[in-house]
Amino acid sequence: MRKVLPIILFFGIFIFKIHAQENFPTNGPKDERPQIYAFTNATIFTDYQTKLENATIVIKEGRILSVGSSISIPKGAIVKDMQGKFIYPSWVEPYGNYGLPEVPKVKSNWRSSAPQYYSKKEGAYGWNENVLAEYDAIENFQMKDKDATTLKKLGFGAVNSIMENGIIRGTSTVVSLAAAPDQNVIIKDKGSLNMSFQNAASSQEYPNSIMGRVALIRQTYYDAEWYKSSNNQTQTNLSLEAFNAAQNLPVIFEVNGKQRVLLADKVGDEFGKQYIIKGTGDEYQRVQDIKNTGASLILALNFPKAYDVDDPYQALSVSLNQMKHWEMAPANAKLLNDQGVEFAFTADGLKKKGQYLENIRTTVKYGLDESEALKAMTYTPAKLLGVHNQVGSLKKGMHANLLITSGNIFDTETTLHENWVMGTKTVIVDMDTPDHSGKYDLKIGSDTYSMEISGKPGRHGVKIKPNDSTDYKTKATFEGENINFSFKAGKDEEGGIRASGYAVTNGFKGKAQLADGTWADWSATRSGDLEPKEKKDKESDDAPELGKVIYPFVAFGSEQIPQQETILFKNATVWTNEKDGILTKTDVLVKDGKIAQVGKGISISGAKVIDATGKHLTSGIIDEHSHAALSGVNEGSHAVTAEVRMYDAVNAEDVNIYRQLAGGVTAAQLLHGSANPVGGQSALVKFRWGMSPQQMRIQGADEYIKFALGENVKQSNWGDNQNIRFPQTRMGVEQVYMDAFTRAKQYDQEWSKYNALSAKAKRTATKPRRDLQLEALAEIINSERFITCHSYVQSEINMLMKVAEKFNFNINTFTHILEGYKVADKMAKHGAGGSTFSDWWAYKFEVKEAIPYNAALMTQAGVTVAINSDDREMARRLNQEAAKSVKYGGVSEEEAWKMVTLNAAKLLHLDDRMGSVKVGKDADLVLWSDNPLSIYAKAEKTMVDGTVYFDLEKDETLRQEIEKERIRLINKMRGAKKSGKPTQKPSPKIDHEWHCGDIVIEGNYGSEE
Amino acid sequence: MNGTVEISLLKEIMVQKNKMKKTMKRFISYITVILLTVSSLMAQVPEPAAPQSGSILLTGGIAHLGNGEVIENSIITIEDGKIGVIANATLVRMDFSQFDERIDISGKHVYPGLILPSTTLGLEEISAVRATRDFREVGGINPNVRSLVAYNTDSELIATLRYNGILLAQVTPEGGTVSGSSSIMMLDGWNWEDAAYTIDDGVHITWPRKRFGPRWWMGETEGRDNKNYAKSVAQITELINDAKSYHEISGDKEINIKLEALKGVLDGSQNLYLHAEKRSEMMESIQWAKKAGIQKMVLVGASEAYYLMDFIKENDIPVILGNVHDLPTRNGEDVNLPYKLPSILAEKGILVGLAYDGRLASSRNLPFYAGTAAAYGLDKEEALKLVTSNTAKILGIDETTGTIEGDKDANIIISTGDIFDMRTNNIEMAFIQGRKINLDGKQQVLHERFKRKYGGK
Repeated sequence: MRKVLPIILFFGIFIFKIHAQENFPTNGPKDERPQIYAFTNATIFTDYQTKLENATIVIKEGRILSVGSSISIPKGAIVKDMQGKFIYPSWVEPYGNYGLPEVPKVKSNWRSSAPQYYSKKEGAYGWNENVLAEYDAIENFQMKDKDATTLKKLGFGAVNSIMENGIIRGTSTVVSLAAAPDQNVIIKDKGSLNMSFQNAASSQEYPNSIMGRVALIRQTYYDAEWYKSSNNQTQTNLSLEAFNAAQNLPVIFEVNGKQRVLLADKVGDEFGKQYIIKGTGDEYQRVQDIKNTGASLILALNFPKAYDVDDPYQALSVSLNQMKHWEMAPANAKLLNDQGVEFAFTADGLKKKGQYLENIRTTVKYGLDESEALKAMTYTPAKLLGVHNQVGSLKKGMHANLLITSGNIFDTETTLHENWVMGTKTVIVDMDTPDHSGKYDLKIGSDTYSMEISGKPGRHGVKIKPNDSTDYKTKATFEGENINFSFKAGKDEEGGIRASGYAVTNGFKGKAQLADGTWADWSATRSGDLEPKEKKDKESDDAPELGKVIYPFVAFGSEQIPQQETILFKNATVWTNEKDGILTKTDVLVKDGKIAQVGKGISISGAKVIDATGKHLTSGIIDEHSHAALSGVNEGSHAVTAEVRMYDAVNAEDVNIYRQLAGGVTAAQLLHGSANPVGGQSALVKFRWGMSPQQMRIQGADEYIKFALGENVKQSNWGDNQNIRFPQTRMGVEQVYMDAFTRAKQYDQEWSKYNALSAKAKRTATKPRRDLQLEALAEIINSERFITCHSYVQSEINMLMKVAEKFNFNINTFTHILEGYKVADKMAKHGAGGSTFSDWWAYKFEVKEAIPYNAALMTQAGVTVAINSDDREMARRLNQEAAKSVKYGGVSEEEAWKMVTLNAAKLLHLDDRMGSVKVGKDADLVLWSDNPLSIYAKAEKTMVDGTVYFDLEKDETLRQEIEKERIRLINKMRGAKKSGKPTQKPSPKIDHEWHCGDIVIEGNYGSEE
Repeated sequence: MNGTVEISLLKEIMVQKNKMKKTMKRFISYITVILLTVSSLMAQVPEPAAPQSGSILLTGGIAHLGNGEVIENSIITIEDGKIGVIANATLVRMDFSQFDERIDISGKHVYPGLILPSTTLGLEEISAVRATRDFREVGGINPNVRSLVAYNTDSELIATLRYNGILLAQVTPEGGTVSGSSSIMMLDGWNWEDAAYTIDDGVHITWPRKRFGPRWWMGETEGRDNKNYAKSVAQITELINDAKSYHEISGDKEINIKLEALKGVLDGSQNLYLHAEKRSEMMESIQWAKKAGIQKMVLVGASEAYYLMDFIKENDIPVILGNVHDLPTRNGEDVNLPYKLPSILAEKGILVGLAYDGRLASSRNLPFYAGTAAAYGLDKEEALKLVTSNTAKILGIDETTGTIEGDKDANIIISTGDIFDMRTNNIEMAFIQGRKINLDGKQQVLHERFKRKYGGK
């Protein structure tokens, strides 16, 4: 009974304090009270930009009645004199989870059991456990007084509560933090529709990649559209229903990192949606692109701690990116604000939520205008959620959410006193707490001491000294007017003195018990103020000086993205890859990103002339099979994932882009992996180092898709649990294709029929459902999308060609194709090209008969042959890989060179503008120190579209700059450590080097191709 | 003349025979030999070469001796499996008729046979197929486990390495902490006893990792500390201490085969190979071995050796670098640092050899590691040492091989061009202890077969 009693009391208190639940019965007499308060003589921010001095705000029953400088105080108001105090609108948290249940944990039987391909959710919901559109936060919301109090003590008044679970997470609810019944605290029942690129706590296989998540979101939009159309005759789908119902709400999209901000926005654009995007705080690193999205942002404030770099070797593990981000993260908001990007702050992601205000103060110190900061704490979050007429400002009729402080909140000395939410008070630091600080003469019995009380009211500390020598260790507590303290006079003394007393004019008095048990009177008489503290180290109030943003924001990035130039190469040995063959002593002019002239004795004014005497000039290497510059490779779940797009996974900040430029690579097909018979759509990119993922894309390139055959797709090496997905044999692989193309053909016919209808007929006809997977497959049948197929043994190569022939299309390219030499005549007849490894073999059973003569033999049979890497390191030596076909099979040097340039361009249908040194083609050129096939050759200059992205000499300079910048930042971090700032242990971020066969499976993660 | 060239399938030889009129005579004699041994014809690996029976004279070759010297126009004699004379043809006179066979290799390049250390060759056939993996025993402490007895002379990979000039390999177990004992094998032989060059040359310790990489498949991007590091190190310290104590006891004692296996390492007759990659792991492994009183130790792997050069030099530890064609460990490092590392270490005065980490089947590219070292700072003859004489010194076989010098084993390769460059690497002939070995294997057979199918010559 004892335990229960306080709880009852507690509930009793807050229920009674809240007014107007007039339709609810009460047990006992109704206890409605006036609840009118007037706060007078305060400095009031009625909103982020309006500051009223000496003003009054009157609140009644949880709402603001009036606010202004000369307003009349209604009768019955309890008047509170706020002389010297500031009143702000309580903060609005746009991204919280207050009052919601905890996110369930992902089941930990991670792949130790059979994979789950279907949803296990019971009920009339959608097919994927990651689409939780039906989740409605308000139905799960419960007022939690303890959590509310914590948040209120930080300064918050209202929260957008989001269930952070799933890719489509359903709707949030905007609630007040008042300690009131659930019915009374809802500000807006549905705040936002919420989405992310993170899976739900679910074991369902699909999706397990960034591309898959994007595809799932897109398909959900299309399915939702279909669902509400007349075409849906049979299905009840509560997930889609809820998704449709939420379309009028603002959408908050949570992402991880700046590139994903751009990606999320792109997804929204497709459906005419402007998302509000919640990032991780690195948006300043691509501020211009972020601005161009037009998205409003929710900014995280988790600034990294300085790294402990005292050990010079451990410091090597801290990347330049990590160091620079440590320095610049607090400037994020300022840099975004300078560009006019709208943003709100969130405490989400902070280990200690108390850092919210602290970090915003830092942001202000880094140059963000105070009113902009306040706006991002109050008005903007409210506006983004459409509740700015209720919270976020202090205007008549709005919720009485007001925060009373001792002064300007951006001043570190300012104390938060009270947070009134919906008219009920939460005390943070009691402003009426007496200030006892000062020096006192302490007398206990006949002994005298000096006593100092320091610190702020409510947080006083006490020092007691016998006679200006060492302090005694003293414990003291203050409670209002009363004091308790104890200390030991001298180290050896046992027990010590324990005293209790109360404030009197100019001091305290009371009784103390001495070590020997005797009682004595004591008194403390105030003798004066404390000496003002010296400022620790004079931290200047100026905004700190910062390094520059580099593009990309990693080592070897530049402050200025390289620009196109007019360049004249003089006297080079030019490997034209055209009829002219290899031309000696030849000039090549590059202008406006194109090859303008090839010949002898070219001269032009204004061109940068490069003496290429003794050097070789070639077109850039094109890697037909690459997984560099990707943040994911396999949507390794379903057997068919034609709907996923590698463009969604492009990582423009992969240092391997730069490294491969250093090896003469200028373009690549970034392929989906080989985990399934039908993988995803390729990204064809040029290595424009410093640009955004979207800018790397080769505009106008044909569309490609990855297929795969053999051991990877039948999961031969995936571990013992992976044996239920169809197909598990090469027989099944064929049937996957037969099924997919049969369905795609029917789909295509349905659409053709529909599209052929007149506008009038369309109105009454039922529009087919748009299916992204079948659409991509239909494009293949219609020769609008081209296949690059991972393949090894001859049987499967032959099989796929026969499947294609049944559907009247061609396989464009077999990639890896290590047994291509066995069916090269069939490939030539079919019209398929081969993009192969030079000399890989024996890493699994299906490559037992792979031979390094493959390229030569396929060439002999009339197949267009390229040599690919599928390896980030080897990609930068593709010239040497090409040379191996000279060694193995005696291919001529000119033909060998084409295998990594023109032939790859042909396989990618880019040979009309890339792959050879020909007037009018893109100036993707490499200047080599030697015969480009030689192991001794180095790329001295690599250009894409006439822009030099790699320069061997500049590389040296860049490294020096990196070193210089690192040292500057290391010294700065050591300074931060010295001044007492917390540090973290260096822990390098290690990017996984994706390979074709990489699948996310614990314990078995073979990355063999 | 013995069967210096072996062709695996009779049928193919018959076809070739018709096309190769010039060598008709030779082939007929082979066929005769082969017909007599029909049962061996279906084997996919070439037949081992017979011992050298007559003396051989190689004239006119550009000899890269492996000790830094080059003789542009050389004379090399091979007798009883040994190199007899190596001389400058312009300076000596020789009676060619003294030799049973004279081979004119004018304008071609002669090198010592390449040595591939720290490899699972012969212990691994198809890495994805468990039944063909024989290089990793269970248990953490296996000094007694010997690669020698598992070395499969019939591995199809062997011929492909030989084709590129690798004639000797240090066949090495992996895994655990004390992985086992390696042996140096010739890449030609009927069985492991035949192929053994040096039996049990050393014991291999895979030094414990201080930190594990991120489990990317679980979405991790940061590594984590190995909490058992100290415990693992303590375990091998205990092992060494117990081994010392064991070997001090003379007379009757209970035989412990694990401790027996450490005898050579303790008395300095065998190498202790310390496999470590990270700077602190390398440093601590060396400190540990010194403290344990190990006399001969070799650092293997050593990808971060750039950051430990002075220490390695001061302690005079030889290094077998694992991977030249590697990416830098850190984003901000010189993009070519792994390419430059052999030359940086060599210039520091460290004895460096090259191994080939990564796919076993790709280790046939060992000469190109040396080529890269030459492209990035090393003189070509110095680069040659990395795959010949330096490795021989490190493995303790330099008295008999690693250079083309008198009285050494005739382990020699002959290429029409620079073996370091893919453009020119073309090995025509190779001798192991004077045995003229067959360079072709199944891959060449398949090449010829399909070349014919598509109408080529």
